[in-house]
Amino acid sequence: MLRMFYGGNVWKSIVIIEIPIYFKNFIIEHAENDVPNEACGIIHSKNGQPSSIHKVTNRANSPYRYEMDGLQQLNLEKIRDENGENLFAIYHSHVATEAKPSPTDIRMAFFPPGSFNSEPMFDNIYYVLVSLAHDNADVRFYKINKGPSVEEITVKFV
Amino acid sequence: MTVTVKMAAVIQKLTDNQKEFTADGNDIYNLILNIENRYPGFQSQILTESEEVHQFLNIYVNDEDIRFLAGLQTIINAGDTVSFLPALAGGQ
Repeated sequence: MLRMFYGGNVWKSIVIIEIPIYFKNFIIEHAENDVPNEACGIIHSKNGQPSSIHKVTNRANSPYRYEMDGLQQLNLEKIRDENGENLFAIYHSHVATEAKPSPTDIRMAFFPPGSFNSEPMFDNIYYVLVSLAHDNADVRFYKINKGPSVEEITVKFV
Repeated sequence: MTVTVKMAAVIQKLTDNQKEFTADGNDIYNLILNIENRYPGFQSQILTESEEVHQFLNIYVNDEDIRFLAGLQTIINAGDTVSFLPALAGGQ
């Protein structure tokens, strides 16, 4: 895959994906509604295209971190199985920092956390960050890979 | 007591890709030991060396997080469902 160096440990991918703007708007609205705390949720896909989006309760109730409610996670896994959907993306908000995976975000993408020499917990999903740090909310898509290496995906919202 | 064990997709590799199976145990700790007998290596991924549940792993008995019950000493009854799943978490 073509890549260019982007800064820090993040690579910017040349590949462009198209995402319906509904998903971007949903994430921003969720993030704004949950201020001052971080918001989080999950996007499912069908045939490779995002098909549904689900808010998940942030059990941490914190402006600085999130932990998805476990039972809701399990229920969403069941819904995916029933509907023939797959896990497409995990999203969360950064209330006062940039829309870029933090060291904690990267560490928690692996199980056990920080086992960077293993494959990440989820194969081939996107980590979506929304930042509310500036006047206009910023939504960005990333992939977190073994190493770790972090790749920002260029998204065209349609 | 025989219970149903459910494994979240991302940690099914610990149980030979079994998503759901039955296992015996009187409490959560005993259940983990019995699963370890069937799937060696399971325990070390679930418990720390000091035999506490890894911080970012959740265990539910039916709809209750064992942190809010009796932890590893939580009694399980026949027909219960015990779910293991890693926390999806992060932060700025």
